[in-house]
Amino acid sequence: MTPRWRLLLLALALAALLPAVLRVALAMPEFGAPTAVLGQSVNALVPELRHVANMVAAVNFDLRGFDTLGEECMLLCAVTGATVLLRGARGERGDVRAGHLPGRPVIPRADATVLVCRVAATLTLLFGISVALHGMTTPGGGFQGGVIAASGLLLLYLGEGYAGWRTLVPSPVLAAMEGSGAVLFVLCAGLPLIAGHPALTNGLPLGEWKDLYSGGLMIAVNAAVALSVTGSFGLLLVEFLEETREPADAPASNEADHEDGTMRART
Amino acid sequence: MTLLPWLVAAWLFAVGLYGLVTSRHYVHLVGCLTVCQSATYVLLLGIGYVHEAGPPVFYDHPPGTPAVDPVVQALVLTDIVVGAAVTALLLAIAIQVQRRRGTLDPQALRPLRPPPSAAE
Repeated sequence: MTPRWRLLLLALALAALLPAVLRVALAMPEFGAPTAVLGQSVNALVPELRHVANMVAAVNFDLRGFDTLGEECMLLCAVTGATVLLRGARGERGDVRAGHLPGRPVIPRADATVLVCRVAATLTLLFGISVALHGMTTPGGGFQGGVIAASGLLLLYLGEGYAGWRTLVPSPVLAAMEGSGAVLFVLCAGLPLIAGHPALTNGLPLGEWKDLYSGGLMIAVNAAVALSVTGSFGLLLVEFLEETREPADAPASNEADHEDGTMRART
Repeated sequence: MTLLPWLVAAWLFAVGLYGLVTSRHYVHLVGCLTVCQSATYVLLLGIGYVHEAGPPVFYDHPPGTPAVDPVVQALVLTDIVVGAAVTALLLAIAIQVQRRRGTLDPQALRPLRPPPSAAE
């Protein structure tokens, strides 16, 4: 199908959808004056009910916690799929040789780069943990903290180079973090079921408002999400950066050369 | 001025959709998909916005003061993270497709046809 045909098909589909789209667009509430009741009810009731300050975390980890469990499973599936696809083609061997383009000199990193990256990676990791821990009180939580902590790993790669990075970042640990986070989430959801309550029933003491311990079970769910997200994104970084390494055996390198050739010919 | 957020969302979605339809490269296609996704974020956050209201985090200001809708913010937050992971999955598929078929042009990729080398 040529792009012209695809555009034509798109125009047809849009024309078919246009009445519905127009109807919804004209019925939209005015910007700044939403008509949805749920959000405002959450704002009004939840600080009292759950003793937490961050409503977004309350929605994520308690009120719509079951929804987040689904998201968590999607995250797990996506990361597992990406890992299987990349690792399945590459093999399990952990080589410690970075790939480089023939003819391009490898310039060693400046000391300043290494130092800045080490300091920044440490600070990023600490910041990520802090954001994850303060999820119930200030804007933050497991999702954001996990992504921040995992992106610190990329700074390590920048500073240490491939070989150093591989020894510093063990991918089994990241995989275990991801899996245990998901298991912890499922336990948080499932254990109340055994006791005869609805899933994710907040049975723990709720703690103090504005305190680091507030929200009861939300703390555990938040920790599960933080673990899982850190593990997931760390694992993705490891898998994608593994793609840059030097293929060890001859057939693989031949194949890679062939691919490079076709890619260069195409560009 | 109050129409601006909706227009931004519609524009982002339209640009992303046009890119999806006319894409000649799989990675470009994944990028366009992300642009479409961003349109939904703008739309959701626009729906939840309340004039002269604070964030739905009652740390500095006490509960009861006006705050924007936390539900849509929670939806956007989880979707950004999961969307990033799904994008990574799509890019991993792109690597595999490039390795097996030697091309990333959706035009040249007919489904369910054995690769030319038939090495599998």
